[in-house]
Amino acid sequence: MMFKIALRNIFRRKRRSIITMLTMFVGFVLAAISIGWSDGTYNNIIDSFTRNRLGHIQIHSQGYLDKPSLYKNIENYDSLRNVIADIAGVEFTTPRLFASGLASLNDKSAGVRIIGVDPEIESRATHLDRKVAEGRYFSAQPSNKALLGRGLAKILKASVGDTIVIISQAADGSIANDLYAVFGIVESGDKMEDRASFYLHLEDAQQLLVLQNRIHEIAVICDNLADVPQTSAGIEEALNDSGLDVATWKEFAKSFYRAMRADKEGMWIMLVVILIMVAVGVLNTVLMSVLERTHEYGVLRALGTAPGQVFRLVIIEVLIIAVAGVIIGCGLSYLINDALSAHGVPLPETFTYGGVEFKRMYTEVNLRSFYIPALSVVVSAFLVSIFPAVKAARIPPAQAMRSV
Amino acid sequence: MNKKENNHVVMAQGIVKEYREDKVPVKALRGIDLTIDEGEFTAIVGPSGSGKTTFLNVISGLDDATGGSVRLSGKLLSEMSGKELSDFRRDNIGFIFQSNNLIPVLTVEENVEYVMLLQGVPKKERHERVKKILADLGLEDMADRRPNRLSGGQQQRAGVARAMVSKPALVLADEPTASLDSEAAESLMEIMRELNEKSKITFIFSTHDQRVMKKARRLIVLKDGKVDRDEVKG
Repeated sequence: MMFKIALRNIFRRKRRSIITMLTMFVGFVLAAISIGWSDGTYNNIIDSFTRNRLGHIQIHSQGYLDKPSLYKNIENYDSLRNVIADIAGVEFTTPRLFASGLASLNDKSAGVRIIGVDPEIESRATHLDRKVAEGRYFSAQPSNKALLGRGLAKILKASVGDTIVIISQAADGSIANDLYAVFGIVESGDKMEDRASFYLHLEDAQQLLVLQNRIHEIAVICDNLADVPQTSAGIEEALNDSGLDVATWKEFAKSFYRAMRADKEGMWIMLVVILIMVAVGVLNTVLMSVLERTHEYGVLRALGTAPGQVFRLVIIEVLIIAVAGVIIGCGLSYLINDALSAHGVPLPETFTYGGVEFKRMYTEVNLRSFYIPALSVVVSAFLVSIFPAVKAARIPPAQAMRSV
Repeated sequence: MNKKENNHVVMAQGIVKEYREDKVPVKALRGIDLTIDEGEFTAIVGPSGSGKTTFLNVISGLDDATGGSVRLSGKLLSEMSGKELSDFRRDNIGFIFQSNNLIPVLTVEENVEYVMLLQGVPKKERHERVKKILADLGLEDMADRRPNRLSGGQQQRAGVARAMVSKPALVLADEPTASLDSEAAESLMEIMRELNEKSKITFIFSTHDQRVMKKARRLIVLKDGKVDRDEVKG
């Protein structure tokens, strides 16, 4: 009966009910789009940052991440690659070799980060070939060719065709040095990185550093960002090697991860603002409604309706409106989020985040962009209704019936 | 409702009710001692402001007394919690108010059924009792109507039906005829009197309508919050 009375009361004051529902509906839609937008944007940035450069998961020799060293390397890459490739969720694995060195051209010299890559795999995994802005990408065979970051090329005043001298320390203790022809200029999108990046064919790098068949890093690209933790656990279990560290992007790109988390906090602030807006609107209309129906509550109480039943009556009424607002909101939010996830929103100006350039941002249609706003709207509507409901339940019947 | 010794349905002792209006204390009841027995058809009369409505509110637990005590069928109201009072009213008291006493979003049938729903009366029995009382009060054709589609007299009869259908031991009616024309008022009083005689239900109603007073078997006259006269008609 309480449900029936509540439902009919909603239709009795149609305009007020519609305004209350619209408040909740608008709050829900804004919250759902905000979450979809936030998740879409950040997952887009994270995926681009990891997929295009670092990889979602990295495997190193134990302790390499904390204290990189030429000697903390991995020897049996080929067999590891086969094991890793069989793990569900793994899309690509790509080997890398790193070292520091000094590059010189004519009277210019600069500290560089030597990055040895397998040209073919790297181009498939992180699309390094697409980042070559000038010149050409590596050929499949090692041929003492190098790709320079744009910033490094500027420092050295190097252009395609120049020959650069590299000096480093080899793993056998000797001084590693060789000449490399500049084959291309790379623009990774991260200007800091481009000021030091000196890409070599993996075999050229191994020869220079006297690290035949050895690498420092296996970068793993996963099918789906959301599945990275499970895939990482799967790799760790399959490798079963205490001499290897398997780390997800959250561990090896800690500062990036922290920056992303800090940025994401903004989404919650926005959600709170939206909820306050909903709460104030709902409180206002419910209070008005309770005030207007004080006489009725008095009659109900006089007839023997318990205070708890009057409390429930007010709450049920608000919850029916809230659920209706959420259901309609779900439909519209889905349509908007789905359209924005497919077509994206072009940005007035491109921006670079984590070394990745963005021209268009996309939302994401996911479960949490529905259930978080739904729960928030329903719970906040419920919470703000408690005060008017208690007021309605506690008013002495005689006093209530004196009001017109 | 359990019957108290001597069949006292209502036993009021030294009831005082004081309101505060703009911080000024106003005494509505100034010490009322009364007993009303089972099956009585009693009118509480007096001019406006004499304390009739306040008295009914206090003896039904709709309002708290500032002083004194009220026992309904031997039970002390001041010892009951809000929930216990609600349950007591639901199971033992039927109310007929001056006006606006029906729940506007429910039909006549649902309004009459409401208290029985609270009491947990089975559906079949509810429907039978509603049907019968609506027929008895000439409202069978109005069962599906909302209160706003009834005349004042029909609304009051629906209120009577709701008050009576749950078979309470006590019916309190606050100026039940105030919003009715003389014909409707006469008819309503006849109905109430008939129910009182047939069902032995105790009726206490407030009024300042002379025609209504004539129907009462006991007349309690209040003046300035006190019992001025208490007459039992022969």
